[in-house]
Amino acid sequence: MRPNRDGFVMAIRHSGIDCTADEECQMRTTPFAAAHTVPALPGIGLRPPHYQQILQEQPRIGWFEVHSENYFGAGGQPLHVLERIRGTYPLSLHGVGLSLGSTGPLAKRHLQLLCDLISRIEPGLVSEHLSWGRVGPRHLNDLLPLPYTEEALDVVCDHIDEVQERIRRQILVENISSYIQFRHSTMPEAEFIAGVARRTGCGILLDVNNLYVNEANHGLDPVSYLDAMPAGAIREIHLAGHEQLGSLLIDTHGTRVAAPVWELYARAVDRFGPVPTLIEWDTDIPPLDVLLEESDHAGDIMRARHAFAS
Amino acid sequence: MHSLHELQATFATAILERDSSRIDWSVGGDNRRDRLAIYIGNVYHNLREALRAVYPTVDRLVGQQFFDHAANRYIRENPSQSGDIQRFGDRFPDFLANFHAAASLGYLADTATLEWLVHEAFHAADHAPLAFSQLTDLAGAACTTLRFRLHPACRLFASSFPVLKIWQVNQPAANSDETVDAGAGGDWLLVHRIGFAVDIQPLHAAEFAMLDALRGGRAVDDAYELALQQDPAFALGPFIERRILDSTIVGFDL
Repeated sequence: MRPNRDGFVMAIRHSGIDCTADEECQMRTTPFAAAHTVPALPGIGLRPPHYQQILQEQPRIGWFEVHSENYFGAGGQPLHVLERIRGTYPLSLHGVGLSLGSTGPLAKRHLQLLCDLISRIEPGLVSEHLSWGRVGPRHLNDLLPLPYTEEALDVVCDHIDEVQERIRRQILVENISSYIQFRHSTMPEAEFIAGVARRTGCGILLDVNNLYVNEANHGLDPVSYLDAMPAGAIREIHLAGHEQLGSLLIDTHGTRVAAPVWELYARAVDRFGPVPTLIEWDTDIPPLDVLLEESDHAGDIMRARHAFAS
Repeated sequence: MHSLHELQATFATAILERDSSRIDWSVGGDNRRDRLAIYIGNVYHNLREALRAVYPTVDRLVGQQFFDHAANRYIRENPSQSGDIQRFGDRFPDFLANFHAAASLGYLADTATLEWLVHEAFHAADHAPLAFSQLTDLAGAACTTLRFRLHPACRLFASSFPVLKIWQVNQPAANSDETVDAGAGGDWLLVHRIGFAVDIQPLHAAEFAMLDALRGGRAVDDAYELALQQDPAFALGPFIERRILDSTIVGFDL
């Protein structure tokens, strides 16, 4: 099945780079690549229950990541804490609400708030999800899967171009976990993401748990998926826990990383080298020590696979 | 065949209407209704919990089951307008005011309004206190044209119900089984931030009128006139001093 393209007007790709034909843009590299990063070490997601302990004890951890939208307020405690932690640690901004895969223009105000936060925090990495969550003014505040079609590829690439031009730096996009597959997809997810990275020059945030969840839910082959990734584009890896619900795996971010996900992570490190690796935990948040143990384990795997890694 | 826009519009409607049959034609696999149900469950769960985080007092007053019922109706009738879920729920007080099932709880909507103002104040912009060096300019100012600027985290709220007491006894730390007489009279409240903590202060009618007029951009003389109508003994000097010291007044235009 192919989507009907009749009546679909291809958006004109706006770009600071002078190119007259779309083909000429296909292999371009972004002028913003590699200007920023966080160290190739384990990091953990910064969550409010741990604010005080982190500020007081300054635990030994490579970097922190936050959800960008949680700091979209004009002031108060959240931004104050974030600035203090940024004073000591590298930081990554991970957005959940820009909705790169929704048709129509990006939400202007959302993009402006993201720009303002980037200026204020000067993060090492900025990332978003390869998903959609909005139709016009209606937001579902969830990370919904796209059909992997040429039309969706155009929508996502145009939006990533717009974001990168606007914030004048590279963003990373993350592969999401999903519970459905659209029947009219015309390419595998790996090919879609590789295409996004090639066309826009964006980096890839490879979520290894999401890859494992999708293997279980859709029978996707994770090894060929990793092989299909452009190795140089993998700039960050996510690890998290999932839970079983009936015959499906649900990406809950509420448990330790599962054994088969660690195995898949080791494979990813073999292929992509030591990459900044985040332990994500969003529900039933445990004591900070549990997150530090998980990140130590990621560090052990990184070192075992790459003896020269820092 | 459908365009991506049509697919997304239909999908969003299927989720909000909690009717996976609208979209299951597009999805592969034999247990696709179960798979789509995960998205419906996740979207509603996330938005309900976002509401509960902003409205914990309403949740305690009506109980989890009733709250979930009200929240589900609100989510469907007032879809989220922002990719930042912390902005979701601004119309929940209005929704509760017109929610038939809560009609017997007259104070519920005002309690919700107070909680939304607390939420706004928590995230509002910072502002430095008025500098002492500026006070000399203030001393010679003409009150007919002088206008005060209030801290961006200040909110004012008048209710005909004792919402502060209702809010206080329902704080988790209060551990209170005190009953509140909903007919015990209303409140004039100043919601503001002290450091990073939100504080709710009860006001007299005159001071409320004064601050409300200042916040609306009225000159000090005009605001004072409104305060005097509430209380002929209202003292302007001590009011200004106190509200500069507690950073409610943070600036002025001569």
